[in-house]
Amino acid sequence: MNWNLGEALRRWARWFRPGLGVLLVLLILYPLWGTGYGVRVLLQLFMWIALAQSWNLISGLTGYVSFGHVAFFGMGAYTAGILVTQGVLWPLAALAGGAMAVILAFVIGWPCLRLKGPYFAIAMLGLNEVLRVAASYFEGLTGGGLGLSLPTLDASVRVYYAMGVVAAAVTVLTHAIVTSRFGLRLMTIREDEVAAEAMGIDTFRYKIYAFLLSAAAPGIVGGLAARDMGYIEPVSVFPLVTTITMIVMVLFGGKGTIWGPVLGAVILFGFQELVWAHFPHAHQVLLGAIIITVVLAMPRGILGVLQQKYNLPRTI
Amino acid sequence: MTPVITPIMLGQVIVSGLLAGALYAMVALGLGLIFGVMRVLNVAHGPLLMLGAYVTYWLFSTLGLNPYLSLLVSMPVVFLIGVALQRFLVRRVVDAPELSSLLLTFGISIALVNLAQLAFTSDLRSVEFITGSFLIGPFAFSKSRVIACLFAGGITALAFLFLQKTRLGKAIRAVSQSREVAQVCGINVQRIHLFAFGLASALAAAGGTLVTVMVAIQPEMGAVYTFKSFLVIVLGGAGNYPGALLGGLLLGLVEQLASLFLTTQVNEAVAYVLLVLVLLLRPTGLLGGRST
Amino acid sequence: MTTTTKRIFYQGGAVLTALIAALTLGAGAALAQAPIKIGASISLTGTYAKPGTYQKEGYELCAQEANDKGGVLGRKVEFVVYDDQSTPATGVRLYEKLITEDKVDAVMGPYSSPITEAVANVSEKYKKVMVSPLASTTSIFKKGRKYIFMVISPAEVYLEGLVDMAAKRGLKTIAIVNEDTLFTKSSAIGVADLAKKRGMQIVLQEAYPKGNTDFSALLTKLKAANPDVIAASTYFDDAVALTRQMKELNVNPKMYGVTVGGDLPEFYDLLKQNSEYIYGATQWEHTLPYPGQKEFMAAYQTKFKREPAYHSAAGYAGCVIYLEAVKKAGSLDADKVREQLLKLETRTMFGDYKVDADGFQVAHKMVMFQWQDGKKVTVWPDEFATGKARYPTPPWNQR
Repeated sequence: MNWNLGEALRRWARWFRPGLGVLLVLLILYPLWGTGYGVRVLLQLFMWIALAQSWNLISGLTGYVSFGHVAFFGMGAYTAGILVTQGVLWPLAALAGGAMAVILAFVIGWPCLRLKGPYFAIAMLGLNEVLRVAASYFEGLTGGGLGLSLPTLDASVRVYYAMGVVAAAVTVLTHAIVTSRFGLRLMTIREDEVAAEAMGIDTFRYKIYAFLLSAAAPGIVGGLAARDMGYIEPVSVFPLVTTITMIVMVLFGGKGTIWGPVLGAVILFGFQELVWAHFPHAHQVLLGAIIITVVLAMPRGILGVLQQKYNLPRTI
Repeated sequence: MTPVITPIMLGQVIVSGLLAGALYAMVALGLGLIFGVMRVLNVAHGPLLMLGAYVTYWLFSTLGLNPYLSLLVSMPVVFLIGVALQRFLVRRVVDAPELSSLLLTFGISIALVNLAQLAFTSDLRSVEFITGSFLIGPFAFSKSRVIACLFAGGITALAFLFLQKTRLGKAIRAVSQSREVAQVCGINVQRIHLFAFGLASALAAAGGTLVTVMVAIQPEMGAVYTFKSFLVIVLGGAGNYPGALLGGLLLGLVEQLASLFLTTQVNEAVAYVLLVLVLLLRPTGLLGGRST
Repeated sequence: MTTTTKRIFYQGGAVLTALIAALTLGAGAALAQAPIKIGASISLTGTYAKPGTYQKEGYELCAQEANDKGGVLGRKVEFVVYDDQSTPATGVRLYEKLITEDKVDAVMGPYSSPITEAVANVSEKYKKVMVSPLASTTSIFKKGRKYIFMVISPAEVYLEGLVDMAAKRGLKTIAIVNEDTLFTKSSAIGVADLAKKRGMQIVLQEAYPKGNTDFSALLTKLKAANPDVIAASTYFDDAVALTRQMKELNVNPKMYGVTVGGDLPEFYDLLKQNSEYIYGATQWEHTLPYPGQKEFMAAYQTKFKREPAYHSAAGYAGCVIYLEAVKKAGSLDADKVREQLLKLETRTMFGDYKVDADGFQVAHKMVMFQWQDGKKVTVWPDEFATGKARYPTPPWNQR
């Protein structure tokens, strides 16, 4: 069969927008006929999309590896959790969670973004651990090792929509950034920071902006996840494996692209739920194998490879 | 509620901290070697320690072999495992951005831990060999910790002698300083990488062997040592080998002192706060390491 | 007949036969009753794989026995079990799946308390009965939930026996240490409350992070505080490490007790003589004089070729209790079963069962034992004691 993938992709690209529109409508209407399980699955998928896209904003675009990004998620979760137990409405609490995450990003980013590559990664990892331990320590506020229980509320469907909105918003934001001069400057930093400085780009300022933007969504979805679970504890909202999963999703789909993180999240999360759940004992080893394969064989991710090979536009 | 702290208590705690610190130093030296020579952040360092512990455990439970003697087995075995990992996997991310090495080694670490869980199950095991303490005046020092410290100190000293005096050791240091120049001088950098990773793994395995008589052995036991090793490297200065020694001792001290003056609950936190402080104020580490 | 007619005849006949067959089979299936489906998600992989698997074995044994006796309400009992990998987010998804897609009639709780807390919201949402055999955290059952039922004793009373015995002997000072996670923290808080009620003075109460291996500083402080009793809310490796280091630093309380881990045979294997005199708490021992113990032990041994741990016993008991309630209710309707579970007072091979209006367990008793000559001797409460406690614990250097 004579079939040029590049050609095929370009032809299919025309159907992309309408296809996306149909998909969005279906997703909006899904709760009307979906099971509780389906709603939960999709809600968590949206969460992963938001997380992956956010990581992409800082690490995919600027190349600064945030190895403790889940810290913002946990910050949002605890902020929202505490507020909800004080009677604040959960959507506001989640937004507050996002705000606190951004403030944290500013406080941490200011000193840490001056560090070079590996040191920034370790610093972020250290930050994550500091927050986890702080959450355990300030028991009066957070419940410490006992965890924090939110008043019971069945808000699954509403959280579904909220997560969906955040996921969509981050994707739109990524699109806006990638197609803007701001995004171009970020990517210049990634390619060669010294040259960027030499060209007159205030790299520090741009890095901070990207970092702040990348912290907002995890903070908000952290708050939403706290509402959805109804219970949070330090260990479950600050785990390293969440950061790793975010990263692998982005790498798998395509670092620095717009739809890469979405693709990565959908495929990996889908696999986990549909396939690996049936082979529990193979699951973890498979995850390790996937990570190794992605890093060695396809560091640019699916879309990255396609982008390069078939000269697809930057905006996929 | 906290009792008054006497000088004796302080002395006891300081020595305990140093004993623990020696062990941290040895394991962290391995991590530092990998970073210094290959610019790779090895998240799989903990699992390598775990493998050393299991080797010792099996030798002890099947042959009754003295755990300290099993160092002669666990170190070479894990050395070879390390070399294999480097040859087939880690080699490919040697010059890559830190994300690749972090992720790859994380993937290796998950794979190792889960393979261990499948092979050994998560059952907790331990080696019951030496208990009790040396009593010197009002102080009591855990025998197993003192012996571990002595071995760790000895092995670390040997490692330093190796790095300073032997040709291979000097070649390793040369590659740490500048790979290009080392190559120009005729050093086979590939082989140095293999050897360094193997040596680092052996150091981790030694740590594993030494702790088998102190802690419970289970597949996830290494994770805490990975974190601590990272802390030590940052404290002492990445790529700075004596720095690893200082950093290790410092970490051990800080942990115990925090536990004494504050509460044990925060000794983790204090260590991480120290990490963040050092990174912000003196990112190249207390003794100065590489800045790139 | 023409070929066309023949074809119509044959085809029509085939369709008709198929229709009749389908209808009869369908009717037949409807008549042969659908099994009672009980859903659960357990840690089948990862760190908690072992206790999780034991729990599952308890379920399997219970279902098998029920089916051998002809099922319940004339229907077979079937378990649908998934692996939640010890993550609350996964657990929550799986319970939604069990209830909304697999359409189970009731659910059993997962292994750990944090996950139970999260998934309890799901079972409440859909008003499905959840018997939680291994959740010991009080707060889960005190949030006004209606459909959740506790089987084991809560964390807060784990060391009740230690405090009781100490108070009876007139001991005055106690130190409490615990790992800083949900269960152990709750347990420590419980001990503190009990100690205060009995007029004891808490000279030191401190938590340590999970994974802490070096207790030198903590023990140095403990030694200086010199308590009569040390109550340690631990898991296994911290219990072992703490004990060893107590010996090394020569810390000599008159009574020393641990929680989870002290009851495992491995505890003795690892510590040998050093485990002597240590008190431990357990939810269940097969030597306790509960009805059906022998049968349970024999059946378990036959099916799984080894002795059951308390997780299996708890899982088994939880299932048995649920089925008992179903029989009494005569139906699977959640509200009817719930009523029965609230009223039920029984003693199974696992111990007593009785819950309060919140579903919180009030009858099951923890049992305290002491390691004596390499064996666990039950020393508290008196009605189950098989021996006397050896008191006081002699200093390390005199053993």
